[in-house]
Amino acid sequence: MNRLAAIAVRLESLPGAASPLPPPAPAGRGNCVDAILSELAGLLERLDTHQVAATLDLRSLPMSPADRAELQRVLGPGELRATLVASGESTIVDTAIPGIWWTRHHDATGTLTAELLEVTRIPPILVNDPGELPAASAALRALIAARQRAAS
Amino acid sequence: MDFLTFARGPALRVSIGVFCIGVVWRIMGFVLLRIRRERSLARESMPRYLSEGLLAIATRSWPHPEFVRRTGAGEAIGYSYHMGLFVVVLLFGPHITFFASLFGFTWPGLPSSVITVISVVTLTLFLAVLFRRVTNPVIRMLSNFDDYFSWFITMSVLVTGIATTAHVGLSYETLLAVHILSVDGLLLWFPFGKLMHAFYIFPSRAINGAILARRGAAS
Amino acid sequence: MSAAPAAISVGEMLRRHGISRRGFIKYCTATASALALPPWMGPAMAAQLRDGPRPSVIYLSFQECTGCFESLTCSFAPTIEDLMFDVISLDYDDTLMAAAGDAAGSALAAAMRDNHGKYILVVDGSIPTGASGACCTAGGRTAEAILREAAAGAAAIVAVGTCAAFGGIPFADPNPTGAWPVSAIIPERPIVNVSGCPPIAEVITGTLLQLVTTGKLPDLDGHGRPKAYFGNNIHDRCYRRPFYDQGKFAKSFDDEGARSGWCLYELGCKGPTTFNACATIKWNGGTSFPIESGHGCLGCSEPNFWDKGSFYAALDTPDWGKAGESTGTQVVELTGGAVAAGLVLGVASAGTSRLRQHHSAGSGNKPGAEGE
Repeated sequence: MNRLAAIAVRLESLPGAASPLPPPAPAGRGNCVDAILSELAGLLERLDTHQVAATLDLRSLPMSPADRAELQRVLGPGELRATLVASGESTIVDTAIPGIWWTRHHDATGTLTAELLEVTRIPPILVNDPGELPAASAALRALIAARQRAAS
Repeated sequence: MDFLTFARGPALRVSIGVFCIGVVWRIMGFVLLRIRRERSLARESMPRYLSEGLLAIATRSWPHPEFVRRTGAGEAIGYSYHMGLFVVVLLFGPHITFFASLFGFTWPGLPSSVITVISVVTLTLFLAVLFRRVTNPVIRMLSNFDDYFSWFITMSVLVTGIATTAHVGLSYETLLAVHILSVDGLLLWFPFGKLMHAFYIFPSRAINGAILARRGAAS
Repeated sequence: MSAAPAAISVGEMLRRHGISRRGFIKYCTATASALALPPWMGPAMAAQLRDGPRPSVIYLSFQECTGCFESLTCSFAPTIEDLMFDVISLDYDDTLMAAAGDAAGSALAAAMRDNHGKYILVVDGSIPTGASGACCTAGGRTAEAILREAAAGAAAIVAVGTCAAFGGIPFADPNPTGAWPVSAIIPERPIVNVSGCPPIAEVITGTLLQLVTTGKLPDLDGHGRPKAYFGNNIHDRCYRRPFYDQGKFAKSFDDEGARSGWCLYELGCKGPTTFNACATIKWNGGTSFPIESGHGCLGCSEPNFWDKGSFYAALDTPDWGKAGESTGTQVVELTGGAVAAGLVLGVASAGTSRLRQHHSAGSGNKPGAEGE
């Protein structure tokens, strides 16, 4: 064991060195941004006239990083930004176009599990379930009663 | 047993076996024939007329000037698609791997994109050759089943190979199996038809050239 | 394992494990996305599951190595696998349960009786029929008998792993135990085959989730596998595909090409003929998959993958199946024998031809001895 230090060690690769993976796909832009925008326009009109919400699953669409950046730039930032902490973090972001929301779900390990464009007045996941309200009401009354007992 | 396993397994084994048996059979079949004894005096010494015989392989590989106008194009197309086939068969990566597994050694190949271009050109020339055979009245009259089938079996290997590399049509597994089966078919047919010209053509030119040279009629 | 699954709803179970309503919606949305279902189905699945009773699942293990179960239950982080066990009521499982002996047998009988016609039967491992089924028995009953009884009362049957789906390694030549896949023992029922050796955990749970929420079998391919996960082959989704298209192949493990991440086709990768989700979903929470780790795909989700030739022989090379003998030796034997046979035939043909030459020579033209 004392001669272990005499064995020459050669680092095959340093941490942070380039991985053997090929470079990412060329950063050219396809025309899918225009296609997505057209679809969003149609869905937004349907929301306006028929009050029907819709969702686009971005993971099912082939988009290069350049496409994604372009789509984000075109839709622009809105006024609202919600962070949901439940089994991992999710961000629900309002875009500059009212009625279009960009949702990203991550699980507890931080892996992106779903990415959606929601065409709706407000994404349903943000709204409290009416079924929870009776129990919530009872719980709050119990809390108030406990505080009163503690105070007296 | 699934299609691909059959094609690259028992079918390939049987085809290679039949190919070897058939080729050796046919070559032995003519090598051991009696040759009429030459009773005229030798005009040249033996080393000389034998070497002129070998030279005849080259000199008889292109038509005489009087015939070039009529047959030159056909000859050129023939040589071109033969060279195309050799390049595709011997210098394409996956084929080199195939031969390496049989013979134990490899050799450098050409990039896949170059092979793709050459194979498409060869395919076009193959179609041109069939067109000529069918439209030229003399050649059509001389053509028999052997000619058409030999063309068909070689063409099917080429077409299925292109389809497999391009991943077009059916699933890759099926395309590869069909391609290997077409090669099996080629190997099975080879010893029994005109494809044997691969083994006959050089000896026959050399022997005829040597006999004529011995008689002092080398040209 | 719950004694009375109907008493505890999925929502209550989730609450007890600290999974909020929104957390469950997120999970269902992610699963719907992975299954390529319409996005609106995620919240719909969540709503349907939360308020209903937990679906009963009976998990039977036969001639298997437990790798499929390990894949399902051993996850690095409390993610979907844990959620799966909150959603379903696992009423019987050999590996996880505490009961043994007669108690185990009673547990299985009770689970089948209480949920007759409603439980999902999940099977892993192949079913041996050799030696009258003695190769795999539990409680004195053969695997085949246990499977037939359990299948009779099942609402749906899922065969997890290549052993249950196609026979797997026990089925490989010479199949000493007479092993068969589930579909051969129960041919009259549609079986969902989630093949792989083992299958990816998310593939198992995603398929089960779709089954419990929609109540219908997912779209299946020709081998009974869910198209959502087995619809594409590895080759078409492999990140090394550009190298294949350019003709850049690694020639041996750890050579320059291999270190540069080139295609592993020549090292025996079966990606082009294998259908699975390894290249997209990957393993261990998206960490990697065999090709990314430098080894060619074995084709483990395909039938008979153990008998399709060497894992290290490229797909376009001969596969003459004789284990223990190199291809080179077999080639020499084959061609040597063929050449010898050809010589015999050739000499025989030449002999008859020479006789005919002699007879047809007739008068005047005496052929001489053999050629010059």
